[in-house]
Amino acid sequence: MRAIERWVEPPLQTFLAESAARVTLLMTSSGQVVAQHGFTRSLDVMSAAALGAGILASTAELARIMGARPLDAVVHQGSAVGMYLAGFDTPRGRWLGLVVFGQETSLGLVQMFFARLVSDLARAAPAEEPPRQVLAEDFEDELNSSLRTLFGR
Amino acid sequence: MSLSRSLTDVTRIPGVRGALVVSRDDGLVVADALMEGVDGQAVAALAASLAGRMRGVTTVLGQPEPVLLMLGGTEGLLLLAPGPSGLLLVAVAGPEVNVAELRLGILAAAGTAY
Amino acid sequence: MPLVNFTTREITCKLVYYGAGRCGKTTNLLYIHGRVPEQRRGNMVSLATQSDRTLFFDFLPLELGTISGFTTRFQLYTVPGQVYYNATRRLVLQGADGVVFVVDSQARRFDDNMESFQNLQENLLDQGVDIRTLPLVLQYNKQDLPPDLIFAPPELDDALNFRGVPSLPADALHGTGVFETLKALSALVLQRLAVRAPGS
Repeated sequence: MRAIERWVEPPLQTFLAESAARVTLLMTSSGQVVAQHGFTRSLDVMSAAALGAGILASTAELARIMGARPLDAVVHQGSAVGMYLAGFDTPRGRWLGLVVFGQETSLGLVQMFFARLVSDLARAAPAEEPPRQVLAEDFEDELNSSLRTLFGR
Repeated sequence: MSLSRSLTDVTRIPGVRGALVVSRDDGLVVADALMEGVDGQAVAALAASLAGRMRGVTTVLGQPEPVLLMLGGTEGLLLLAPGPSGLLLVAVAGPEVNVAELRLGILAAAGTAY
Repeated sequence: MPLVNFTTREITCKLVYYGAGRCGKTTNLLYIHGRVPEQRRGNMVSLATQSDRTLFFDFLPLELGTISGFTTRFQLYTVPGQVYYNATRRLVLQGADGVVFVVDSQARRFDDNMESFQNLQENLLDQGVDIRTLPLVLQYNKQDLPPDLIFAPPELDDALNFRGVPSLPADALHGTGVFETLKALSALVLQRLAVRAPGS
């Protein structure tokens, strides 16, 4: 399991243990990864986050266009695995969750424990720190060097 | 017999705080009749999970699936009776309930519900 | 603002390629995908129609390596350019840390470029983002076409570059200007996280 901030880990750890989810991804509403469990490559996590955020964003927009109340969750049920996608509010803004689960658990359990995860995250979140400068003044040299390496120049 | 009739038959028993029809595979509520304070979603999910595990145990033991599961606590009882079509009938009762009457009632409802 | 993880020392930035239909947004990402080593990028996600027009978005994650001790990742997105897909463009634009506005330099596409640029401003405003404060780079694509068919960069600057942001000529199909565009936008986006020297 990897998390952007330490305070996310205990609630997520509890959720994983209780729900028996295979893969869990928490992200911001714009698709940036906050925490994940079950992925092997960081780049695959980003793709999953982008797609999950896209699904939820388009579902919410569809609901708005139809004049319906916001749809907070989407479920996809396959023959062997299911996917649960849900949006929720945190002290850090709107986050999204993507949970992949198998037959060792159930949608009902995932939903129930996900609701608890949301409550636990709300309780655990510390006050937000103001943004800090993190890069050295001369970061551009490193940036240019990294990009040149990427592009084989 | 309809789902709502089955729930009514069970909730009519004194001491019963709620009854639910639950989807066994998903753990989702199909129908419910609950008093305030009973968390239907949680009961459904956990009851389905429990029934699934007991099914696993009896399979390993080479026994047929249980027709009734009863979980007794200090504050009350939880009874589960598998029904047809992948459904489960669940009853939540307080300690004052007549257990024998509830057993008969839930078995009858599960057998005649669908 | 880019997402910063102080514990694991990671920075993630969302960069969006915006512009009119068929201006070269997807072509930029395809070129980048083709040039960057596999271990430094993810698979390109392309949600497209059967005629290869972007339907929802293209997505390409890049791992830049370490900058000032922070592992830096970029998430590159394109939006669907056709006028019809404005709802999805708004969704993809959410949370963008920087935008490349790709301009089709052909004279006959001038009105489409202007409309798309206006659309970008409107969509950002709807999300409470002032385009004047968002890191933005203009890419004047298709500069490889015959001069009598296109506007030169100074002409396009006059029409579009009211902020004086970095603007670069490009031929995305063959890769010219693609790297430079990404470099320019990356620098602007990461500038927001950089320590300022006293008095600067």
